[in-house]
Amino acid sequence: MKGLGRMGAVVAKEFKHLGRDPRMLAAVILLPIMQLLLFAYALSFDVDQVPTVVIDMDKTQTSQQYAGRYEQSVFFNVVRHGETMDDADVSFQRGVARVAVIIPAGFEHQIKSGAQAEVAVLVDGSEPNSARVGQLYSVALNQLFSAELTREWAERQGLDLSAVSGMEPRVRTWYNPNRRSSDFLIPGLMVVILAIVTIQQTAVTLVRERTLGTQEQLEVSPMRQVELMLGKIIPWALLAFVDVVVIIAIGVFGMGVPLRGSIPMLALGATLFILSSLGFGLAISAVAPTEDTANIGALMLAFLPSFLLSGFVFPLGQMPEVVQWISYVFPARYMMSLSRGVFLKGAGFAELWPELAALAVTSFILIAIATVLYARKVRQ
Amino acid sequence: MSEPATGARGGTTGPVDPALPVIPDSFRHLGRSPVPATGLAVQVRGLRRTFGETVAVGGVTLDVPIAAVFGLLGPDGAGKSTLIRMLATTLLPDEGDAEVFGVSVTSNPKAVRPRIGYMSQRFSMYPDLSVRENMDFFASIRGVSKADRRTRGDALLESMGLAEFAGRQAMRLSGGMKQKLMLATTLMHEPDLLLLDEPTTGVDPVSRREFWRILADLHEAGKTVLVATPYMDEAERCTDIAFLDSGMIREAGTPAEIKAKVPGRLLELRAGDPRAATRAIAGLPGVLSAHPLGDNVRVLWDSSADPEPVLAAALLEAGIAESGVREIAPDMETVFSHLAESGPEAAA
Repeated sequence: MKGLGRMGAVVAKEFKHLGRDPRMLAAVILLPIMQLLLFAYALSFDVDQVPTVVIDMDKTQTSQQYAGRYEQSVFFNVVRHGETMDDADVSFQRGVARVAVIIPAGFEHQIKSGAQAEVAVLVDGSEPNSARVGQLYSVALNQLFSAELTREWAERQGLDLSAVSGMEPRVRTWYNPNRRSSDFLIPGLMVVILAIVTIQQTAVTLVRERTLGTQEQLEVSPMRQVELMLGKIIPWALLAFVDVVVIIAIGVFGMGVPLRGSIPMLALGATLFILSSLGFGLAISAVAPTEDTANIGALMLAFLPSFLLSGFVFPLGQMPEVVQWISYVFPARYMMSLSRGVFLKGAGFAELWPELAALAVTSFILIAIATVLYARKVRQ
Repeated sequence: MSEPATGARGGTTGPVDPALPVIPDSFRHLGRSPVPATGLAVQVRGLRRTFGETVAVGGVTLDVPIAAVFGLLGPDGAGKSTLIRMLATTLLPDEGDAEVFGVSVTSNPKAVRPRIGYMSQRFSMYPDLSVRENMDFFASIRGVSKADRRTRGDALLESMGLAEFAGRQAMRLSGGMKQKLMLATTLMHEPDLLLLDEPTTGVDPVSRREFWRILADLHEAGKTVLVATPYMDEAERCTDIAFLDSGMIREAGTPAEIKAKVPGRLLELRAGDPRAATRAIAGLPGVLSAHPLGDNVRVLWDSSADPEPVLAAALLEAGIAESGVREIAPDMETVFSHLAESGPEAAA
């Protein structure tokens, strides 16, 4: 009971600090929203309107018909028409285009004569994402075009192609049928922001107690370490929850991200995840001598793992095995799949209990390590 | 560091300044009846602490009587802070132990903490919180009830002259007010023993006098005060003193006992050029030590001979005008400079 009172005093004090420092409050509330907008729009992985230069050296009806397909496609944006190969070089160097389509002279002649016609598609590999997409779409476009040519040829020959059976895959994407990256990113961004706000602020404000000298006054009080820690993390966890609610609201109502699962499930996961953040924050504050070091430490342990080792942006399955093993240490990956499971798949306890268990175990281990590190620090 | 000391030398030496009002009742609100003025508040036994190769406190044994104002004197780096922090239970000793009101600081620090108020050398309050908020926060984590926080806070702010600054942010306080805020905060949970680590360092002379006025009031109210200070003149305001140097106690006792250890008589020699006069008389038979101080020379005379003709002759020879010699009561400044010169072996 007395412990609760002391913890409450710390919580109230932390809110007073926040109230006295409006810049801090603004940073904690506004930064996540800015990040959200940045990720949702600027860092979108949806690629369309790839700037394209078309170099038609054939200048025939067929070549123009082929080039027209690029003009009509939403994936390509034909920004220039060129005459020679040099135009491709110049366009790439100036960054005007990322894809160059080169139709060689004799294109029509080869098609008419029934020979295999060749088209060169150059992609600017310095931007791998649009290069990959540009490549895939141009291949698809070529297939369509040649299928059309085949059909025209068959019709001229009086053949009925519908009699020819073929195999064709029908691909459907589940959970995120339009494969919109915002559906994928926003549930993940929630995890990143939870990690940053809670880990960074707990670590920094704990180190601040030391640099201010107030830590010593706290030590001579009957307050237990755990009361101080909880008192420190509660205000930031509350603020992180505010951030999460804002992010979800913008995502769901503003960007149409589906929220198919239950909110209590998400809240349970987030609570466990915040406990693990407490462990990180504590561990950092136990070893960091200054607030600056704590900031950098938080960046290393909060931002990087939740960003890179969680599957937020880069699929973990594509990483080297060692990196994958490292990622198991960080709770962010479990929270990431939990968050996406709830948002996109509507998954519940039956599907997500392994993630919940992993979160609980990593949190427990982290807090244990941090407590040991912290205890060593006191009275030295 | 030496600036406030020089500034205060003008006339604040001597016991608690009679010109300042001493209000023995001003800390009656501290509630807890004064502990009987017998027995020991602190018993230090062979306390030792090193930091790497440096011996900060090298085996200190010390007794602080209940209701004493115990001055822990010594230069920077003498080990005062380390000793106080071990008593405050924020630092573990390597060897030895100390008991605060009979409770060990090493084996039972939790039982020691409620009875002590510790004021560290650094300003250690939240700069963005107000005076009142700082006092209330530290009181509430010390388990002081809301009602007590209000009544004690009001009374402390009043008696320290901080009432009108209650709402001011701690970072906007002057140096003296910051120290008073720290003291007021350590008094909120009504400790019986105050451990004050250089509370007047870097504080202007007027604020120093006021701070000592408050300490005198606390003494009247029955509190035990252990105060570390580098200022020798503050020793005169203590009931007991110990001189710490290089982690060892060199001298301990009441100010009168310490003064009695200085042999001979202290003379004040008025001379035209005090520095030249000091050089002229140093080493004369009977002169134990000579130091220029202001327009005078402080001479420690240890001889049965009349000092006046001897000194006059020496000055005449050096061509320095002399206008009189008079005997004065030894002050702590002189006592410690003599003890420091005679070295540890003389103190043993």
